[in-house]
Amino acid sequence: MLAVRRINRLDDRIAKIVIVLMAIGTVFVYSASADVGEELNLKRFYDHPGLRQIVYFPLACLVMFTLSAINHRHLSFAQGAWRSFTPYLLILSLILLAIVLIPQLGTQVNDARRWIRVPIGPARISFQPSELAKWASIFFLAAVCAKNNFQIKSFWKQFLPICAVVGAFVGMIIAEDFGTAAFIVLLSFCMLLVGGAKWWHLLSPLPLVLALFFVMLYQSPHRIERIKAFLHPEQHSDTTAYQATQSLVALGSGGLWGKGLGNGVSKYGHLPEDTTDFVFAIIGEELGLVGTTSVILLFIAFIWMGSLVVIRSKDGFSQLLAGGIVLAISLQAALNIGVVTVVLPTKGIPLPFLSGGGSSLLVSAAAVGVLLNIAKQTADTEPANS
Amino acid sequence: MKRLPAILVLFSLLVVVFSLLILRCFDLQYKQHDRFVKQSIKAQQKRIPHVGNRGIILDGRARILAAGKPVLTVFVEPRAIVDVKATSAAIAEILKIGAHTVCREILENKHRGYLEIKRDVGYEEAIVVDRIFGVGVEKQWLRTYPMGSLLSHVVGFTTVDGKGSCGIELEYDALLRGHSHYEVLLADVSRRPIRSLLRAPVQRSGSQSGQGVILTLDATIQSFVRECLAEQLTAFEAESGHAIVVHPKTGAIWAMVSLPDFDPTHAHRQWAENPRLFTNHALNDQYEPGSIMKPMVMAIALDAGVISREEKIFCENGLYHGKGFGSIKEYNYRKYQHLTAKEILVKSSNIGMAKIGQRLGKKRLHDGLVRLGFGHKTGIKLSGEATGLLRSADQWTGYSVTRIPFGQEISVTAMQLIRSFCILCNQGRVVRLHLVKAFVDSNGLPEVRDSRFEVADQVGYVIDPEVAKWIVDDALTAVVNEGTGHRAQLDKWQVFGKTGTAQIARESGRGYEEGAYVASFIAGAPAGDPAVVVLVSIRRPNRKLGYTGGKVSGPVVAKIMDKTLNYLEARGWALAHKESPERI
Repeated sequence: MLAVRRINRLDDRIAKIVIVLMAIGTVFVYSASADVGEELNLKRFYDHPGLRQIVYFPLACLVMFTLSAINHRHLSFAQGAWRSFTPYLLILSLILLAIVLIPQLGTQVNDARRWIRVPIGPARISFQPSELAKWASIFFLAAVCAKNNFQIKSFWKQFLPICAVVGAFVGMIIAEDFGTAAFIVLLSFCMLLVGGAKWWHLLSPLPLVLALFFVMLYQSPHRIERIKAFLHPEQHSDTTAYQATQSLVALGSGGLWGKGLGNGVSKYGHLPEDTTDFVFAIIGEELGLVGTTSVILLFIAFIWMGSLVVIRSKDGFSQLLAGGIVLAISLQAALNIGVVTVVLPTKGIPLPFLSGGGSSLLVSAAAVGVLLNIAKQTADTEPANS
Repeated sequence: MKRLPAILVLFSLLVVVFSLLILRCFDLQYKQHDRFVKQSIKAQQKRIPHVGNRGIILDGRARILAAGKPVLTVFVEPRAIVDVKATSAAIAEILKIGAHTVCREILENKHRGYLEIKRDVGYEEAIVVDRIFGVGVEKQWLRTYPMGSLLSHVVGFTTVDGKGSCGIELEYDALLRGHSHYEVLLADVSRRPIRSLLRAPVQRSGSQSGQGVILTLDATIQSFVRECLAEQLTAFEAESGHAIVVHPKTGAIWAMVSLPDFDPTHAHRQWAENPRLFTNHALNDQYEPGSIMKPMVMAIALDAGVISREEKIFCENGLYHGKGFGSIKEYNYRKYQHLTAKEILVKSSNIGMAKIGQRLGKKRLHDGLVRLGFGHKTGIKLSGEATGLLRSADQWTGYSVTRIPFGQEISVTAMQLIRSFCILCNQGRVVRLHLVKAFVDSNGLPEVRDSRFEVADQVGYVIDPEVAKWIVDDALTAVVNEGTGHRAQLDKWQVFGKTGTAQIARESGRGYEEGAYVASFIAGAPAGDPAVVVLVSIRRPNRKLGYTGGKVSGPVVAKIMDKTLNYLEARGWALAHKESPERI
């Protein structure tokens, strides 16, 4: 008998949106990596961000579909904490974060120690453990909230241990990657809010968090410079606000339809980090307002589909997990676009699916894989004839 | 459930944020588009100038007087260079210059976008050095003057940035200047070109060379004029001198020499050392001409009919004085009695001329001089031409009427003298002196032929042709054959002319400097149908060696005249030789 199944199932739609976004990203990372002085040298394939991305794209799809086949409930603490993947993921993240901080092993890029580089044959796999830590903490929060039945009543027995786990991550990241650390704090706050934590519980560490935030801010002169530059861009257009200014020039000169694919000029060294954090500006330059609006609309569609997954999820864990994944991705996208359009001060946050860089793309794809599995299960539980 | 609405509220907030970001993009990319395009032009475009060659300057026989030569210049962009030491070492090795010097220069100009390293680099070296990052090669035009200082004052020179700075180079700068055009390229952050701004390759209008100028000057004549004049300046230890050779029928200037002169190639250095070298004495000097004025005034008097050729004028035995004009003596205290007009010129009698001046009266004398072109510029297209000084008749005193006829109380330029003399040679017709024969376009094809200058302006006669002819063929021929101008005699051709020895007026304006003279001689040949007019004027010769126009300038005129006429004859000009071989 042929079963009547819904075409355009939710998981397929999400997968399509994400694949389209990753495809756009791959094209623009390739375009943005153009350089006048260097011709493509296939012997140095892996040194070329544009070519690397062409490898990462199918790899990310593979990871996404593979994980979509694995039941996401393996992440839940329902069967006991140590039977799920989550604690192992947490421990792995902690180990990797520790490795990064060891000078002999971690690699310094742009004055910050955020990377692990593992040479494999001709390629050097660069990996950013904070990306993994971000997802591990989301999984952990969803699992732990579900385990506590979404009622975190005791400050000392429930709330504080959770905060301690998240705090450990944040503490290890904050020194080298302030942006990601702050982002994890923000995400955790949202997750706990939704996951049943009490307001006064959440607000109690706030003074501490704020104090820490400002201490971190004032410890580093270049963060203050960045904020000053953000507030008075004209005075700093050659120095600190250079990147922001160039980002605006790239976007603004694109106009309505853009300069045409591959015709951008800012990518030739004018705009730093054009393949990674500022790839959105290159999209704006080459495809114009049409391109930037399309990308933002794809993210809105992603939220829309994500909210359908959340609504259709039957159990609280899936709901919170799906919500967390969608929130993490779209919030990060919003922050990145905010930085690129200079609504927010410059901060190194990649644009999910679009920015160049393997670890961010693969880990995001993995998270979407989990989301797809949740979406699949909502479809499976629905009546087949609907 | 409390959980679901909370998640949905968060999601809705995110959708709102994204919508606001779309609005932000709309503002940036649509509303502020023009502003950012302007901003991007500043940072992301590179303009490569293609400078057109400056037009050539040729003499009347198409010899090159000034032309542009392509020169490859190596420059660096100091702000783009990261490893100064390595870059300068690489440059130094190819160009064979000191690496330390290059390195120091780059470091001293670290923030500049352009620094010239070496000019006039060979093609092979340029190709190699161009490959070094931060180094560029550009084609420039170097102005060259193959004739050196031969025509320095007329042709002039150009500044380092290619602007005309004096002479023809300045006067016709707009015409000579090449048309530059800028190739606009998109550039990366290190100013390396990416591609042309225009997506489709448009046919370039390109740079264009400036128009060329063909002068009436003849470098051959110019060279012997300069040679003869220089010789005489040395011989008489004179301060300066000038000589002009003109074709009287057309007013075409064949030679214009002013000494001392400069070398246009090293003009900038010489300007700093001695700016006086740059004075074109033939054009910029104005002086009291002395006796050289006599034939002009005589022509005015004969034309006005106040005297006749046969009439004898009593020359007062060498001392003429009266109320209102002081006393007038002859040169060297000679004493003359009754002289005809011709004799007055031959003997160069001051008193005779003064009496003629009195007969003419202020108005007729003044008008006559104006008609002959005194008191205003000749309009030759060279900068710095002096006007001379001819006071208006109502400012004249009794002294003026009696002094101007022998060349005092009036200040003239060499150009004015030679023009009035050409009028006499040309049987009273006005002649316009000119230096430019034609303009050619950048391909060397004649473009604008300035036909106005080709023949004398047919504005009629300012002097009766009969009178003019008599002055030239009779009186001035006699001056050379019998009188003060005997040193300008030639065996082959009948020369006519007039000497002039003038004292240099004090700068205070009162009286004359002791022993300071301008020795002039103006002459034409052959009599009957003059083909050439020469003016030689030597300023401040050594008094002990000689100071009269006849002695100092006469021989120079003779030499120039002889060489010029021989040269013209060799070129096929039909010139009338002397009828009798013996001297009259």
